[in-house]
Amino acid sequence: MTEATVATSQTSSDVIAKPGLPSQDGKLDVLISMRNLWKTYDMGAEKVHALHGVSFEVKRGEYLAITGPSGSGKSTLMNLIGCLDTPSQGEYWLNGKNVAEMDDDDLARIRNQEVGFVFQTFNLLARATALHNVELPLIYGGIPGAKRHEMAKQALAAVDLTDRMTHRPNELSGGQRQRVAIARALVNHPSILLADEPTGALDTATSYDIMNLFEKLYEDGNTIILVTHEHDIAARAKRIISIRDGLIEKDETVR
Amino acid sequence: MSPRSDAKPEAAGFGRRVALPGRIRSFPALRIAALWESFLVAAASLRQNKLRTALTLVGIIVGVTAVISVVTIIKGLDQTVAQTFSSQGSTVFTISKRPRVITSREDFIKFNKRKDITEEDAEAIFRLCTNCWRTGVVANDGVTVKHGNQKADNVQVRAIAPTAMFDIDAVTVDIGRFWSESEGSSAHDVTVVGPDVITNLFPNQSPDRVLGQEIWAGGRPYQIIGVLTALGKIFGVSRDNRIYIPFATYKKNFGLNISRGAFSASGVLVVFIQTPTAEQLEGAEDQVRAIMRNRRGKTGRDEDDGFALESEDVFLNLYSSATSNIYIVTIGVAAISLVVGGIVVMNIMLVSVTERTKEIGIRKAVGARQKDIRTQFLIEAVMVTAIGGVVGVLTGFGVAWLIALLIGFPLLFSIWSAVLGVSMSSIVGVISGLWPAWRAAKLDPIEALRAE
Repeated sequence: MTEATVATSQTSSDVIAKPGLPSQDGKLDVLISMRNLWKTYDMGAEKVHALHGVSFEVKRGEYLAITGPSGSGKSTLMNLIGCLDTPSQGEYWLNGKNVAEMDDDDLARIRNQEVGFVFQTFNLLARATALHNVELPLIYGGIPGAKRHEMAKQALAAVDLTDRMTHRPNELSGGQRQRVAIARALVNHPSILLADEPTGALDTATSYDIMNLFEKLYEDGNTIILVTHEHDIAARAKRIISIRDGLIEKDETVR
Repeated sequence: MSPRSDAKPEAAGFGRRVALPGRIRSFPALRIAALWESFLVAAASLRQNKLRTALTLVGIIVGVTAVISVVTIIKGLDQTVAQTFSSQGSTVFTISKRPRVITSREDFIKFNKRKDITEEDAEAIFRLCTNCWRTGVVANDGVTVKHGNQKADNVQVRAIAPTAMFDIDAVTVDIGRFWSESEGSSAHDVTVVGPDVITNLFPNQSPDRVLGQEIWAGGRPYQIIGVLTALGKIFGVSRDNRIYIPFATYKKNFGLNISRGAFSASGVLVVFIQTPTAEQLEGAEDQVRAIMRNRRGKTGRDEDDGFALESEDVFLNLYSSATSNIYIVTIGVAAISLVVGGIVVMNIMLVSVTERTKEIGIRKAVGARQKDIRTQFLIEAVMVTAIGGVVGVLTGFGVAWLIALLIGFPLLFSIWSAVLGVSMSSIVGVISGLWPAWRAAKLDPIEALRAE
């Protein structure tokens, strides 16, 4: 709890701390440090700059929303934060590692251990049970069977789905599917929970439940990054970064 | 779900950093869990697409079936041939007018112009060949044999002299006896018969009751004095459907060298020569060839001997050249169907990769490396083809068993050929799975996640 509190209260976007400064308990206080990040797509004749020179920091335990209209570059930024892609230029330090220089397999490792994804369309394996879906990151993380089951069950219990473990996605409601996805994102205890329009496919009541779950996870000390174009969803976060035309337009601490 | 902003961290603190001391940092190179996952996914995918899998397998199954059935059949034949010819031994060779196998019409005409082999030829060989041990003459004929109102067609008559010819033929009596040398030379109407003849002519009679009874062959009665030990079948033809009579008796009752149709071997004399050991066979053959060429008035310039000198090798050579041709054809058939099967598997794997792009994206997003995805699809391809291999081995054995049943030879199911069949098809799986698996592994996770 202490970590989270400290992080939110001291957030500042105009000071870029050196990455890798350990905090008092030996953990890195600055979790994400992006410096002058560019992403350029080569579209044949012309080059499209999806991001041009984005810099910001996220400390451990922050609850951050990245918002902006479609085409603003927020999806590109999310892919970079989630290590699904590498920047064309600039540095991206995640938990003390420079992701910008990593190859495919290193990125896979980082995604496995540092990032938990929550997608708009849940992206669960249709043929697998909820338990198996949650186990998936652990399988690729090389966690042995018994321990894997234990961890996955814990994660499902944390999202109140203990009684749905053997159900397949098509036997679950939208809200339940998203909670399975959140359990999957959390099961490997990642550094960041990265949610891309997590309520985009849900009705209002269910969206509200899911946002409450994020709130709770934040209070438990998780670092959460929410990518959304919905203002009321973004407003649930403690800090909002607005992206427009590939640049940070606003970076404000809300509460 | 109710808001939990008031929840105590200790009570429901999943994911809480401070409460989780033991984070897992291991990322081993070989992950049994990921491998096992690949197996499960592959098995599930094959279950899901049963018909598609079955159709995919046709090529592989045909290829493996061809190889397994042919290998099994030929192994069985090899054993039969080996047993049959070692029973006569590689110490025996024959002198005859025509070789056993004639491959052209010209040869046939040429061989027919030759002089018949005579008893005098046999006598001369017996007298002059120092490397030879035993010499015998045989006249073969085919007759209908009767007893009462029972009848057996196409019974082989083997007229032999002297009685040592029984030894050269490597036959023994089960019941009764062979005729004596004096009975033979004085042309007694006696016979030693194969077990098939007894079965056909004396149904429901115990074999020891037939001794002393008469059978009719070529219009004359013969007294049964012995029953041969069963020899069994070779290539579906029984070797027990024959009767032995003394050569002198045959000459008296049938006459020699009566041509009954151009292709018939009836009444044609064959001289059998046996050497004491296999090592002396070649020397004896040279001597006999010289003796016979001399008797036919052939000089060194004459290319044709005027007779055929053959040992088992002739037949064995023919047999092995025939089987090696069969092997070559089989390998061709198998290779073509495996290549076709491999292309089908590759095609299906590419479809499978496309169908499961989203799944690949999800797996990559949660930390699957290229190697993991590659392995998953390779395992799937190998699993398909290995199943095809197993089915092919089973049907191959089935086909061989059926043919063996029809023709009649022992079956040798070799583990070796089963292993060969399955590993061959698995290799096809690896080869045809490589490219699709590589494509799957190289997919961009962002693009893959966007797929529907």
